[in-house]
Amino acid sequence: MREIINTMKTLMEIIFNHIENWDKFWFGLIFFGSIFNALAEKSTYLSSMANISLIAFGLGAFIGLVAKYRGEWL
Amino acid sequence: MALNRSIDASSEYSFEKEKAIAKGFSQRFQWEMILIGIGQAIIWLTLWPLVINGFVPLWAGFCIATICACFAYLPSHESQHGNYSRGNPKMRWLDSLVGHITLITLISPYEILRVTHMKHHAYTNDPEKDPDYLNAHSGSLFRTIKRSADGSSTGDYAKYLDIFSSDKAFVNSFNNAIPMALILRGALLTLVVLFPLETLLLWWLPAKIGTVYTVVFFSWFPHVGTSKGRYKDTRFWSHWMPRYINHSMQLHFVHHLHPSIGHFDEPKAIETLKPFLVARGVPGADEIPDTITYNPLIKFS
Repeated sequence: MREIINTMKTLMEIIFNHIENWDKFWFGLIFFGSIFNALAEKSTYLSSMANISLIAFGLGAFIGLVAKYRGEWL
Repeated sequence: MALNRSIDASSEYSFEKEKAIAKGFSQRFQWEMILIGIGQAIIWLTLWPLVINGFVPLWAGFCIATICACFAYLPSHESQHGNYSRGNPKMRWLDSLVGHITLITLISPYEILRVTHMKHHAYTNDPEKDPDYLNAHSGSLFRTIKRSADGSSTGDYAKYLDIFSSDKAFVNSFNNAIPMALILRGALLTLVVLFPLETLLLWWLPAKIGTVYTVVFFSWFPHVGTSKGRYKDTRFWSHWMPRYINHSMQLHFVHHLHPSIGHFDEPKAIETLKPFLVARGVPGADEIPDTITYNPLIKFS
């Protein structure tokens, strides 16, 4: 039982550390990626492009990655 | 003779007398603030089905959500000071309930704001220990707006875990609030996948605007240019804006002196305490009008 609790604690610690370090990247990918994707779908020009979702989420991830290494969004 | 007059003045405006007057304004049940806090949260929550099902256009939803976000902080601020329970342990649930619910609009965990705000009161304008120091001392209003829009004004709070590591109550409350912070973040990221533009315009952007509004009027204007010390760390200021648009934050200095005074009782408390405030040299106190009505604090220059 104690082993399970310790494993859970270690797992939680790894998750928290990951969130702390990569929060901006994931936020960029999921949040901004979803927004860019939704905006692209509203445009007849952009929505006809191949791989537009990939580009939208990639742009979100890129913005998040830049924010992660800059340490701030703006 | 001059010394006698000084002693008379100090006994006439003693801290004990000031405290007794303030206590008289610290008894009333803050029902208006509960109504604002819970009310704005209900309106904000109701917007979601109304906008998603097309009953309310998204742009109108955005405007209403932004107003809700601007009203969201103050009710939680009263909670943070225990101004609903008023020291009654059986009523503390009300502080917590209002504090948590009203801050959903601002995507902020109540306990983290509460404990850092207590430190802000204890160490106002201390560059090392005041968690809100850079909100008022960033160097310019533009930098303060940029910091709060960026998330730095609250995102930096984690570093105070190290600064106050010996304060177990602070550390425990802070750590206990982390799951709530993750739930709010998780909810935002889930909703954005399902309803991207609605999440942007009903939650994320209004929360950003509400945060900037709160930081500018609760931190920047009351504390800019002030120093450390009970009667020196917050000022009376005037503005072109009618005071009900900026939550009467021209009167924020009295909150720093007596946090248990209810927000809507502050004007009357200031009118009564004005001689004390002038005698103590509160920045700007000599410009306080004798009667504080709706908009006597407008200054166009």
